[in-house]
Amino acid sequence: MTIDWWTLGLQTVNVMLLVWLLGRFFWRPVSAMIEQRRVTAQQILTDAEGKRNQASAALAEIEQTRAGFVKEREAILAAAHEAAERAKAASIEDAASKANSLEAAAKLAIEKEKIDAEKAWADRASQLAVEIAGRLIERLDGDAVRTAFLEWLLKEIRALPEAVRHAAIGKGVTLKAVTATPLTTANQEHYRTQIGEAFGASPEISFKTDPNLIAGLELHGSHLIVSNSWRADLAKILEDVTHDSRP
Amino acid sequence: MNSPLDSIALFHFGPIPITAGVIATWVIMAILIIGAILVTRHMTLIPSSCQAAIELMVDTIDGQIRDTMQVSPAPYRSFIGTLFVFIFVANWSSLAPGVEPPTANLETDAALALLVFIAVISFGVRASGVRGYLATFAYPNPVMIPLNFIESLTRTFSMLVRLFGNVMSGVLVISIVLSLAGFLVPIPLMALDLLTGAVQAYIFAVLAMVFIAGAVSEDIHPAKTGNKRNSS
Repeated sequence: MTIDWWTLGLQTVNVMLLVWLLGRFFWRPVSAMIEQRRVTAQQILTDAEGKRNQASAALAEIEQTRAGFVKEREAILAAAHEAAERAKAASIEDAASKANSLEAAAKLAIEKEKIDAEKAWADRASQLAVEIAGRLIERLDGDAVRTAFLEWLLKEIRALPEAVRHAAIGKGVTLKAVTATPLTTANQEHYRTQIGEAFGASPEISFKTDPNLIAGLELHGSHLIVSNSWRADLAKILEDVTHDSRP
Repeated sequence: MNSPLDSIALFHFGPIPITAGVIATWVIMAILIIGAILVTRHMTLIPSSCQAAIELMVDTIDGQIRDTMQVSPAPYRSFIGTLFVFIFVANWSSLAPGVEPPTANLETDAALALLVFIAVISFGVRASGVRGYLATFAYPNPVMIPLNFIESLTRTFSMLVRLFGNVMSGVLVISIVLSLAGFLVPIPLMALDLLTGAVQAYIFAVLAMVFIAGAVSEDIHPAKTGNKRNSS
């Protein structure tokens, strides 16, 4: 066995050349590609990590915003609740005021109705009294009643002051004698004489009939009115009664 | 009958005899280089199946270098990877009819062992400097200098003999069986020869890594190699 040194050298050169060529055209490009992929993957991972951090930050911000929403919602609810409470209190106060007003108005109305009712009942009572008096007077003797009223009238005239009597029968004055029922001529003359004597003169007297007097004899002059009738008496009584019944 | 240990020159190029092993080496070199150019021509970030297979192979070799030498694989990838690929393809070239593996020739194996010997010195000097590399012969103590020096020669010779013996023996056995038993009978032996060829390629590459790692190891001169590796 011998070694051919030329062949040994040639194969050495061949293998060295192969090492260089494969290093140039195979190992370096492939390893560069692997490294490039590793760097790219690392970059993608870094980017992904960055995006994940951004997403986490965005999520935290959203959580914070949502927490703000909750606080804002609570504040809005509290404000709404407070406004509702205020509106409720205002409504209650308004309702109470209206109720008080209505109550006062109702009280006034009731009082007014009560007064009106009392007045109506008083009127009704007076009417009833007048009616009763009228019915009673119808059963009395007419002459006696007229005489009584004439006497009362004469008494009233005589009770007047002298100056008033003279003023009442002044010159040109016509007195008006009002009765509930018509008088006969004789009665009129009798009345005229009696009244003239009461005045101490002979005044002009005319006669008039007013059934509303119920019964009585009144004398109306320009400066004098002598109310001498049941109507006047009842009116006075009614006035007194009404005055007494008022608080 | 020619001895299987002899290389017969097919022709001469000046004083240089061109043997069948040299021709086969050139053919293998051409195939590997053209194939490398073709497969690396259109590489993309999203790899095809072929690119993925190539990258897997490169990544596996890087892993082997990293695990065996405990260093970054970049400075040694071309040398170790090319040794493995060339020996592997050369061993398996016996599958082609009439082709004798280049590694069945003593000169080719000697050239490979010589390159490993030179590479150990080169990487050792590059990593530690001349003084640092020479200091590795005094490891663990100066008494070991002669033994370490002899070891550096004998281990290279052992690589040569191991590869040559395994490949040449396989070829010789297959030739004998083929001449005696005829067609199809050598097939199991050829399959065994393929397995042996793959294992020998792996062993040769691993031994080269171990020898280079012994020259650049941080256990021997940590400060210098550490700086060198950081700078690389």
